[in-house]
Amino acid sequence: MKIENKLILSNIINGAFIILIGFFAFQNMSLVLTKLRFVEIADDLNASFLTLRLSEKNYFLYHDRKALGEIREKIKETAETIQAEKNDIVPAIGETDLKKLESLLKAYSDTIEETRGKGQPDLELESRIRSAGKKLKEYSDSITRLERKRVSEIILNSKRILIVSFWAILFSALFIGHFISQKILRSLREIEKLAKSISGGNFNKIEGFRSNDELGAVIIAINSMSEELGHREEELIQSKKLASLGILTAGVAHELTNPLNNISMIAQTYAELYDKLGEADRIEFMNKVDAETERIRKIVKNLLDFSKPKDATPSEGDINAVIQKTLTLVQNMIDVSNIETSINLAEGLPHVFVDEHQVQQVLVNLVTNAVQAMSQGGRLVISTRIGKSGESIEIGVADTGKGIAPEFLPHIFDPFFSTKGEGGTGLGLSVSYGIIKNHHGEIRVESKVGVGTTFTIELPRYSEGQYRQYGL
Amino acid sequence: MDKHRIMVIDDEKIVGDMAKLSLEQEGYQVETFLNAEPALKRLEEEKFDVVVTDYKMKGIDGMEVLRTVKDRYPATQVIMITAFANLDAAIEALRRDVHDFFPKPVKIKELKASIKRALGKQG
Repeated sequence: MKIENKLILSNIINGAFIILIGFFAFQNMSLVLTKLRFVEIADDLNASFLTLRLSEKNYFLYHDRKALGEIREKIKETAETIQAEKNDIVPAIGETDLKKLESLLKAYSDTIEETRGKGQPDLELESRIRSAGKKLKEYSDSITRLERKRVSEIILNSKRILIVSFWAILFSALFIGHFISQKILRSLREIEKLAKSISGGNFNKIEGFRSNDELGAVIIAINSMSEELGHREEELIQSKKLASLGILTAGVAHELTNPLNNISMIAQTYAELYDKLGEADRIEFMNKVDAETERIRKIVKNLLDFSKPKDATPSEGDINAVIQKTLTLVQNMIDVSNIETSINLAEGLPHVFVDEHQVQQVLVNLVTNAVQAMSQGGRLVISTRIGKSGESIEIGVADTGKGIAPEFLPHIFDPFFSTKGEGGTGLGLSVSYGIIKNHHGEIRVESKVGVGTTFTIELPRYSEGQYRQYGL
Repeated sequence: MDKHRIMVIDDEKIVGDMAKLSLEQEGYQVETFLNAEPALKRLEEEKFDVVVTDYKMKGIDGMEVLRTVKDRYPATQVIMITAFANLDAAIEALRRDVHDFFPKPVKIKELKASIKRALGKQG
């Protein structure tokens, strides 16, 4: 369910709840009003009954016939009042209690009627009149009391319900808010984690976060963005490789001239001296031709291998071998420049787990940069050694070129940052950085203007199983 | 008359080997070197009529050989061969009085003709 719908639903539920409470409160208020109206009537009735009892007392004291008339008059009046207010009384106390009240009034009225035609006071009748009057008054008082009590109960109840509902609504709003914000926060944390890993060069995905709401949609979008960035980086690596290839091809083409010249000279000499050559000489000549073609094949293969777009296929191997292969690609570039080289490869290094062509690409890039930085000549040192912790190997590519200004140094791995003016795309080092990061390695730079620049690549040593997780 | 002495300097061993085989057919005395340093030393000991040198070599390169030879032994003719059809290098070599300039792959017949001309020039 979408978060938007959840919020709407939660609002609807809370709203319905509030309406229900309002309706209930309204009902209670109406009931309270009815009861209060009855209590008002009951007060009147009680007053009437009190008058009845007073007149009754007068009659007993003075046997005043006039008092009896007053009582009859009052009874009639009260009965009329009850009849008139029936609509207000019934909802408050119910039919039964009203009947009871009426029957008590009737019983009282009957005993009063018995006095008609009796001259002398009858003690037994007086006692019945007194008893009926008392019952009537007591009953009326009791239902009035009861109704008053009910009114306070209803009010108290309404108060309780209001308090409970207040907390219930507050709690539900807080709970739903908390639940939704927790979910949003959790996915934001996942997104933050992924963004960090993307900036570190690992184009992972957010796994195990299934949701049909907006967050799910955002996660899907971010996952596909990460995947797309991964593809883009592959394309970038490939396009950068093609750019390097342009530089390499020129060098490699020259590299081919020497073996071709050798074959040509062997062929010319062979033809010229054919008669003078012995069987063994001829075979030797042909073997030389074969060796030279093999030399050409290797140069071409190296170049082809380098240029082919490939899915990264890491394998366990010796980094020195990778460096040696790279040197065959860049040797010509170094030779034609006025640069001394020294290659110091440490022996017995632990193996690494790398994609050979990607690492070659990085090395070609670093060497090309070094050579370009030393246009006035200099010294290029390529070295390998074991890392300080013993858990990694380090490759150093150091030049004695013009160096990089300190203000540029923090940016040299940024995409499109170049100090070469029009000549550079500013992608070489950023692609190299991406490749080394993908290998869970580090690439560092130290440089001093006028002294030179040293790049150090650190790659973790190979250990069984450790590399399964590599997204290479 | 002594045989003409030809020196061939190229870090590609086959170039020296083949040039030597072929040039010896013409009756020249040929010595080959894989780099310039011992070659220049050898020149101090012996006079050579023609020096055939590669342009691009490790250490002392062909241009340096040309300069040294022309400084010390102006009569010795230098023929430069190169894997690079580099116009700038060719112009510089001409200014330094190179006798001839061959791009690889070298046609041996042309090289021989050039050497013959060089010896003639030398008188």
